[in-house]
Amino acid sequence: MRLYLLKRLLLTLPVLIGASVLVFLFIHLIPGDPVEVMLGESASAADRAALRHQLHLDEPLSVQFGLFFSGLATGKLESIFYHEPVSRKVFARLGATFELALAAMALACLFAIPLGIVAALRRGRWADSLSTGFALLGVSIPNFWLGPMLILVFSLKLEWLPVSGRGGLFHLALPALTLGLAMAALLSRMTRASLLEALSEPHLTAARARGLSEPRVILKHALRNAGVPILTIIGLQFGALLSGAIITETIFAWPGLGRLLIEAIQTRDFPLVQGSVLAIALTYVMVNLITDLLYTAVDPRVRLEGRA
Amino acid sequence: MIGLEGNPTTLDPRVARDAYSTRILPLLFHSLVQVDANAEVIPDLAQSWEQPEPLTVIFHLRAGPRFSDGREVRARDVVYTLQSLADPELRSARQALAQRLQEVTALDPRTVRLQLREPYAPLFTELVFGIVPEADARRLGKEFGRRPIGSGPYRLRSWEQGGEIVLEPNPFCAGPAPKISRLVFRVLPDDVTRVMALERGEVQLLLNSVPPDDLPVLEQNPRLQIRSQPGTNYTYLGFNLEDPILKRREVREAIAHAIPRQELADCFFRGQAQLATGLLAPGHWAYEREAETYDYNPARAQELLDRAGFPRPAEGAPRFHLLYKTSQNKLRRRMVEAIAYALGEVGIEVAVRSLEWGTLFADIQAGNFQLYSLDWVGVTEPDIYYTAFHSKSIPPAGANRGRYRNPEVDRLTEAGRKTFDPAERRAIYGRVQKILALDLPYVSLFYSTDTVVSDRRLQGFQLFPEGDYRSLAQADWSSE
Repeated sequence: MRLYLLKRLLLTLPVLIGASVLVFLFIHLIPGDPVEVMLGESASAADRAALRHQLHLDEPLSVQFGLFFSGLATGKLESIFYHEPVSRKVFARLGATFELALAAMALACLFAIPLGIVAALRRGRWADSLSTGFALLGVSIPNFWLGPMLILVFSLKLEWLPVSGRGGLFHLALPALTLGLAMAALLSRMTRASLLEALSEPHLTAARARGLSEPRVILKHALRNAGVPILTIIGLQFGALLSGAIITETIFAWPGLGRLLIEAIQTRDFPLVQGSVLAIALTYVMVNLITDLLYTAVDPRVRLEGRA
Repeated sequence: MIGLEGNPTTLDPRVARDAYSTRILPLLFHSLVQVDANAEVIPDLAQSWEQPEPLTVIFHLRAGPRFSDGREVRARDVVYTLQSLADPELRSARQALAQRLQEVTALDPRTVRLQLREPYAPLFTELVFGIVPEADARRLGKEFGRRPIGSGPYRLRSWEQGGEIVLEPNPFCAGPAPKISRLVFRVLPDDVTRVMALERGEVQLLLNSVPPDDLPVLEQNPRLQIRSQPGTNYTYLGFNLEDPILKRREVREAIAHAIPRQELADCFFRGQAQLATGLLAPGHWAYEREAETYDYNPARAQELLDRAGFPRPAEGAPRFHLLYKTSQNKLRRRMVEAIAYALGEVGIEVAVRSLEWGTLFADIQAGNFQLYSLDWVGVTEPDIYYTAFHSKSIPPAGANRGRYRNPEVDRLTEAGRKTFDPAERRAIYGRVQKILALDLPYVSLFYSTDTVVSDRRLQGFQLFPEGDYRSLAQADWSSE
């Protein structure tokens, strides 16, 4: 187990370096100049040159890349615009994004897994059709439409929930619902499909023959076998929720990492863009690692040592 | 609660450049001087000033103002604020101002002397930014922008990055204390959410941040009031004067005549814009009424294009093609598409390219465009003509993006910088406006109206040309 963990952690390094290189190259390829944005058009050529030098923007790209990595390693990477360490900016926002993604995932799981189970057990009946309809709607409705519609109904008409901002559970409800709907749709279909497959396994017939009750057969035996693909989808989708919350964060004025990244791109704050993307990539990799570790809990047949 | 479109980057007045920070700063800081609704300079921390010779200005500070930590505002704070602009570590957008000052001296605790390197009339409007306390700014360094301490009517209580900025009255503020005990600025980047937050009562004030299409709906809401007044934000169509087609004046005049500006204003701005005649709005002290204007006259446009050597080919083919670059702002894109259509009617085929802001600006700076549209925001200082049209202001050294060159305009804008006499400056900039109206490096489109939509109970909030929130210090909740 330890060896597996070590190998996986080591394998994250090339992923993170690859992500950093790509982001670094792309952000420097697109037009735009942070010095222009900071000093404005009235600045003298000497002031521009001085700031460019101070920010090392006059160095070759390879040198800038080296400086980026050394800044990262020493924790001295600083946002051009905010004059603050990138790590501080990113961590301040990562918490909000994590909170939103967790809430969206919890909502999706609470709703989609029971729905998927019911759909599998009532295959071909109205509950199954309802589940299919829900899944179709869930994946078809875009966030930029769903968010304002939820605000219109739950905030303006019913006056139950606030329109925007980060606060308690009430503030979290609508953004989590907006973000979690598509995941719920996917998860309900995956639960249904996995459970149907598990239900057709011969050992379940044996379990029933042994006189086990139907709920026990489904919950203890079938659902456990169906758990690995469901867990995979949850893991992958959670990573996607972290990086894909930009639209939801913008609609609900949620102060998360997605909005920080957009602002950093607009102002060409290179270190902040690189730091934000790296944080997202790291989180994604870690979530996948945790998912893999959870496989052993769900299915003891999985031996992690052999998988690395 | 007040809704903001974007996230303020810093609350250090020496550094802030973005509109969201600069609108909040007058609540936290006093400047040496301020500008009034006609862009004329009025006292703020300085109760008076004198200019014994062109290169020397002496400011006399008023007694009373204190920073929010209780310390009195002294001349040495003014000296430090101005001197610190030159510090490269600060990365101030006002470095150019620091370089114009040869020496800044505190003659006594309430008197500051500024010694200029050369006569520079825009000095006074460039001094409209907050004075910081020397001791705190030195102690906090880069942190000062997160934990600002000023002498304004309010002080910062908390700031959640990307979320809310909370202000409370400055207990040491000189003069009447603000009546509203807590101001919360919430960043609401999405147009639809911002308007719905206002309708729900979650937000009580939106300043210049309601899409014109939503105003008729908000007018029906009995809880809200809408107030508008002519604004100074200037929208224009810029030409690349190095382009072989657009360097011909007749073509530029034809384009000016081919745009139905009134129709566009009615359609897209719903009465929230006035037709512009030049960079300076009619209320400005240096505004020139006699400058040439161009009415919508497509027949005249066609005639000018024919005369310029671009006759309309047979079979409805275009006379020539142009590329029009604009931002991804929805309203702006629709407006530009309508202009492209209108130009098509006189035989100019225009392709519209809508670009992400950083890319658009980089293209414009590099001269990589034929037509573009941008805004000049909060125009108060006529020296903007130097920045926008002097031949030495061609990017990256300035904002003469269209590469306009006219020795007479160069001479006049240089003279305007060096002349302190208001009447003489008015005459100089009047002449500049007339020349530019004839040369047409820009087609003036609109001045957008300043519009505030607020809770009806909020009384006493006034609009200022820069579109800032300073009058919230005098506002109050009515009991109705």
